[in-house]
Amino acid sequence: MPNPSLKVVDVAVEFSGLRALNGVSLTLSPGEIVGLIGPNGSGKTTMINAMTGQVPLAGGQVMLGDKQISGLTPRKIALEGLSRSFQIVRLFNNMTVLDNVESAALAHGCSLRVAREKAQTLLGEFGLSPRADDLGASLSYGDKRRVEIARALAADPAFLLLDEPAAGMNEAETEALLHILAGLPKSRGLGLLIIDHDMSLIMRLCDRLHVLAFGKTIAEGKADEVRRNPAVIEAYLGSEAARA
Amino acid sequence: MSRHLLTIAILAGLVLLLVAGVEALGIRVFNRIATNLCISLVLVLGLQIFMGNSGILSFAHIGFMGVGAYTSAVLTIPAQMKGMALPDLYGVLQGIQLSPYIAIIIGGLVAAAVAAVLSYPLMRLSDAAAVITSFALLVVLHTVMTNWSNVTNGPRTLFGVPRATDLPLAAAVAVLAVVAALAFKESRTGRLLRASRDDEVAAGALGVHISHLRWRAFVLAAFVAGIGGALWGHFITSFSPNAFYLRETFVILGMLVIGGANTVTGAVIGTFLVTGAFESLRAIEGALNSARIFREQVIGVTEVVLALAMIAILIFRPGGLFPTREIGALLARKFTKRKHAS
Repeated sequence: MPNPSLKVVDVAVEFSGLRALNGVSLTLSPGEIVGLIGPNGSGKTTMINAMTGQVPLAGGQVMLGDKQISGLTPRKIALEGLSRSFQIVRLFNNMTVLDNVESAALAHGCSLRVAREKAQTLLGEFGLSPRADDLGASLSYGDKRRVEIARALAADPAFLLLDEPAAGMNEAETEALLHILAGLPKSRGLGLLIIDHDMSLIMRLCDRLHVLAFGKTIAEGKADEVRRNPAVIEAYLGSEAARA
Repeated sequence: MSRHLLTIAILAGLVLLLVAGVEALGIRVFNRIATNLCISLVLVLGLQIFMGNSGILSFAHIGFMGVGAYTSAVLTIPAQMKGMALPDLYGVLQGIQLSPYIAIIIGGLVAAAVAAVLSYPLMRLSDAAAVITSFALLVVLHTVMTNWSNVTNGPRTLFGVPRATDLPLAAAVAVLAVVAALAFKESRTGRLLRASRDDEVAAGALGVHISHLRWRAFVLAAFVAGIGGALWGHFITSFSPNAFYLRETFVILGMLVIGGANTVTGAVIGTFLVTGAFESLRAIEGALNSARIFREQVIGVTEVVLALAMIAILIFRPGGLFPTREIGALLARKFTKRKHAS
């Protein structure tokens, strides 16, 4: 049975009176890659935080199939199958890379042995096997990001939400990451939501785009349609550029 | 896997070496010091189980040592002595006189049960709030011990506890505690708890039930502390509630912090180093005083040196001497690196 879709319905988030998200709706289906883009401060990270329960909602709801998951704790939402990475990498710094990745599998009920096998396979896929025994804190920025994604995948998520996975990576690393991410929906049947400022990565990776500005949806649809949308161009480049 | 066995072998080997050395020398003072060291080791390892894996400083630990010591004492003081030692003891407990070995285990279980009830709501706290409540818990336990005259003889010394702890028993329990602490650290609970220690938000987002895992570690730590306290009670044979308060708390904390709270190796090495330093300083202090080199008596050198050592460690090596990796893992890495190099 295929996984149900993840539906964000009319979600609002407030930070002491400021509306960071204002009535945003988004659907993420298994097997697709959706890019969440928008200028700085438009609410992209808040959107992921709202979906995974890290910030409380001021309105709207998040549904997984028929089940409402908004209002649950981040832990319960994670156990429902939502995995995420963080904009500022959050590794377990005093644990080895292997332990970092294993922990996600353990949290989802794998035995010690199965968790170890799963972690080793993932490290292999991400080219991190040589670093398996190094401490999280000792890695380069790009490696940290990859470990965090591998860790999120070790939970066998139905939906993976990545917050700027390519930030801090060089071109070759970004290319390798793109290759891995592009294969995920097929190989694992998961739905992938990705935030990034690297437009070439987003354009090559995503089936659909969802554009936020000032906490509101200003466009959504197929990648090349969205790119030509005047509202999007205005949000990114200012109104002068849109008129030109 | 082999590196864990290597760690156990080295740490247990240290304890066994100590026992063999002391038994071969046959000097009574050394025997007493070594027994005290093994008991301290049990207490430090108990604290490591909670603090090392959860990353939360706990002051309450020594309170549970007291719970174990009093429980075991009440269950083992001979019936005819109880009239004198504990005149107000409840009737039900008056006739009970168990073997100390059984009573020591019950001491651990009672400490764990008390911890299970008291700590359940507290484990949701983090950082400073958690540290402060653990300190409050120590004060509460101490107040109960000094005032519950029926079972503790109040603030007065409780005497008549049968002597049952000798060096081999203390060493055997210490080795078991080493194995338990390492096994817990590598268990599912221990690993996930360490993840939450490094990053609470990320661990929560992975689905880790942090407060529940902390609670498990706290209860196990209290069990080990209770066992350690009961062992100590059957070694010293008379004690008052003051034995389970601030002084002991800071000695045990000092051992763990200097060695490195995150590793079992750190707990063991810290205990050995601090005990060694303590006993040699005490001997120097005694020699100075009996030689009358200074006009006044020299006192408090041990405390001053421990405090300085802790400050130095916190400045220059905040994670302690063994901050992240166990000795077995360190040696295994060294070995494989050399192999790669050649």
